[in-house]
Amino acid sequence: MIILQYLFYILIFPGALFTIAAGLLLAGIDRKVIAHMQKRIGPPVAQPVYDFFKLLGKETIIPATANRAAYLIAPVVSFVSLCIVMLFIPILGFRAIGGAADMIVILYLITIPGAALIVGGAASGSPFAGIGISREMVTMMAYELPLVIILLTVAKKVGGDMLIFDLGIVSAYQAQAGSLITEWSMIPAAVAMLLVIPAEIGTQPFDVAEAENEICEGPLVEYSGSPLALFKLSINMKMIIMTGLFTALFFGGIRTGFVITDLIVFVLISTAVMLVCITTTHAITARLKIEHLFKFYWTVVAGLALVSAVLVWIGL
Amino acid sequence: MIQHFPVLAVMSLFLGAFLVEIFGTKREAVRNAITFVTFTLVLILLYALIKPVILEGRVISYWMGNWEPVAGYAIGIGYEVDALGLVFAIIAITAFWLSNLYSFGYMKGEHHLGHFYTLFMMLCGSIIGFCMTGDLFNMYIMVEIMTFSAVALTGFNTDKDGALEAALKYLVICSVGSGFILTGIALIYLQCHTLNIAQLATMLAGRLTPTTLMSFGLIVAGFGVKSFMVPFHTPLADAHAVAPSPISMVLSGVVTKAGVYGMIRCIYILFRAMDLTQMQILITTFGTVTMFLGVSMALKQHDFKRLLAFHSISQVGYILLAVGLGTTLGLTGGIFHAANHMLFKGLLFLAAGAVLHQTGGITDLDRLGGLSKKMPHTTICFLVGAAAISGIPPFNGFASKWLIYQAAYTKAIESGNFYYLIVTIAALTVSVMTLASFVKITQAVFFGQLSEANKDVTEAPKVMLVPMYIISALCLITGVGYKFFASYFVLPAVNSAVNVTNYIDVMMGDGYAAAAGVSNMAADNVMISSWSPVVYLILFVTVLAAACIVILASSGDRGRVVEVTDKDALKHSNFFSGEEPVYSHVSGSDMLWGYKHNFKAYYNIMDKIHTGRMTDYCSMVVIAAAVIIVFMFMFMR
Repeated sequence: MIILQYLFYILIFPGALFTIAAGLLLAGIDRKVIAHMQKRIGPPVAQPVYDFFKLLGKETIIPATANRAAYLIAPVVSFVSLCIVMLFIPILGFRAIGGAADMIVILYLITIPGAALIVGGAASGSPFAGIGISREMVTMMAYELPLVIILLTVAKKVGGDMLIFDLGIVSAYQAQAGSLITEWSMIPAAVAMLLVIPAEIGTQPFDVAEAENEICEGPLVEYSGSPLALFKLSINMKMIIMTGLFTALFFGGIRTGFVITDLIVFVLISTAVMLVCITTTHAITARLKIEHLFKFYWTVVAGLALVSAVLVWIGL
Repeated sequence: MIQHFPVLAVMSLFLGAFLVEIFGTKREAVRNAITFVTFTLVLILLYALIKPVILEGRVISYWMGNWEPVAGYAIGIGYEVDALGLVFAIIAITAFWLSNLYSFGYMKGEHHLGHFYTLFMMLCGSIIGFCMTGDLFNMYIMVEIMTFSAVALTGFNTDKDGALEAALKYLVICSVGSGFILTGIALIYLQCHTLNIAQLATMLAGRLTPTTLMSFGLIVAGFGVKSFMVPFHTPLADAHAVAPSPISMVLSGVVTKAGVYGMIRCIYILFRAMDLTQMQILITTFGTVTMFLGVSMALKQHDFKRLLAFHSISQVGYILLAVGLGTTLGLTGGIFHAANHMLFKGLLFLAAGAVLHQTGGITDLDRLGGLSKKMPHTTICFLVGAAAISGIPPFNGFASKWLIYQAAYTKAIESGNFYYLIVTIAALTVSVMTLASFVKITQAVFFGQLSEANKDVTEAPKVMLVPMYIISALCLITGVGYKFFASYFVLPAVNSAVNVTNYIDVMMGDGYAAAAGVSNMAADNVMISSWSPVVYLILFVTVLAAACIVILASSGDRGRVVEVTDKDALKHSNFFSGEEPVYSHVSGSDMLWGYKHNFKAYYNIMDKIHTGRMTDYCSMVVIAAAVIIVFMFMFMR
């Protein structure tokens, strides 16, 4: 019975199936809203689902320069590791598997899909992919610094004089003391986190790694068929995971009492977060250069996060 | 019986060195047999000590020639093996055993191999003796043997460009370091009239007179040179670039660790100064600077082995930072990282050596590429090592770094010092920078396009692949079972570093420590951890299995994998915006441009500092040692 319960957690909710569904839903909403912002009608909300199944049906072409094994395994690793991360993020009051991984571990677990994308891109042997993975890596280095500071700030705010990295405790603390977004000392960190999310997912203005009209989708340039479908799906899943992480860190205090309503509220907040940090920035900005992106994150965003860290450190 | 094992281990290695020189210069089979048997014997001797020393917590003492202390004064040379020393000795012998196996394939056909193995066994014997001795001057002698055999081995390929220069740099800088250590020991002898560590611990603890403070500063600086922390790191990059790969593995995995071990032994046991706040700040600062400078220099290198050398520096920075925190959690992370670093850095050097060996000596990242198709096994091992060193779960690098982050952050909130929060952030950021430089190697060497010059490269021979696969497996095992290793292998070492009374009593007689008023450091053995690799692996396998089932169930004709045939070659060639595809490989120097551009000013300064001139490097060493001593006199009196 307990095995069935955990299988349900892992495969259906909040594991694989939920992450896929929510990710595709968010991607659909994103495209629709951007279209409306640009005075277009846009595709139907279910378009990412159609795209996914269409790609599954396409032929998988392996370039002659590619390392076949790495090229095909990378998308699977990316997809599988993302399915697992969602299990460790509390959905308001509900948490499937506690105590196995905390904030810092999650920070490292979400680098695995990035690393898989890099290995896959490199394995394709294309020069466009080579440039793409170089940019992807610089992007990762850029947003990692502010993300680290944000997580340590949250840990200090929640833990006080204790070592608290556990997201479950972060959530429980917020249920008692109110969501962290209501603390004015945490606002700069929240803004910084909002800026980290689009770089992590790779949307404009931080999509330098994939820059379609410049380096032809970078690491994905040679991919086709089901591996491409898995990578595209991974990007969509990252949307719900990163916005969900934001919700858990800064809106974790909201409780409705039922898992179902918790889930709905969680998805709604995540969607709202996505509309602010992904959709709006996508619609109103143009792509940055990689060196500007790096500078922006290590100065402005890291600075914002550090302001919060100092404020929290002196007890505000 | 068991108390003879440490001495036998050291003696058999030195004896083996002579035997190889006498019988092994001509015939390969004899030479290989002698080295393999000796290393295996020592491996068994030391692993047999695990049960009594590490698991049961006994301390083994051995007085050479049975010269026991007279009236409370140690007069002979004593060997004393506690868990701390044994853990480092086991790290050493494991690395040497694997490296020796690898060298059978790698060094095949080189000249003067008899001398090579003589030096190789001298190096191993000196390090194991260094870890096990209980006598300060004996420690110095072992350091000297270690340095000189390492120097000779670095310059072993004398026909290689820069080999002699690198060896000379190594020799000069390390001799300055040895000079510091010797002067420090002389000052201690002047003050205390004994050289036994256990006895000195009762005399020096908490009573830092100007003389002993001076010697303390000199010893810290001296072991700093031996562990190649910044600014003493300068000879290491050159040395690794020219040394044969098995030597690179032990230089980075063991020789630098010997410096760290000396540092731990002196600070924690000899002077017991680790509870001083200033001492903690001194060591953690050196650790953090070393960590950052190492990785940032590594990001800019375009020589395979030189890049790895700078990573050795960076990882030693992690270890020093953890050791310098002065908490048991920090020390656990530090020693665990030392063991893990031996594994994954050894693996990376062996992979680099395989590439170098098979391509005929190319280590320039701009001239390699696409080797994964020719050397698939090396690629797998390299990827495991790269994932481990960049701290990707569930490999071992993540487990030990994870303990270090926790220790640094705990220190920050316990002491309320914002400085340690900065240290934690630096440690976490350096980790992703490490990943970046390994992405660079992965693309530049193993993936990308195969150049015309490397068309005929073949996979490395089996005798080289076996050690690589053994280490790869160990990287995963220690990563997944990190709780087991941390509590049964590392924690006893930590306990023996903080519980000095037992160490003193075994050597000098029961009640000696209590009579001298020595007490143990407060041990706070908390290993807070909410990272469970086993759960993660179970989840991973479950989801993977489900995904595979779905893929298999739905795969019909659609989405099939198509093989390349000559007929549709154009379809399978790279996308080139409609042009005819040509050879174009994104090589090491092309990578990470956005980062390098932003750090231009920093790299200009670094280029000015790393002049490559020995005189400059020597003055850096002397100035840094002076800074350490002045710091101690200003803040620790």
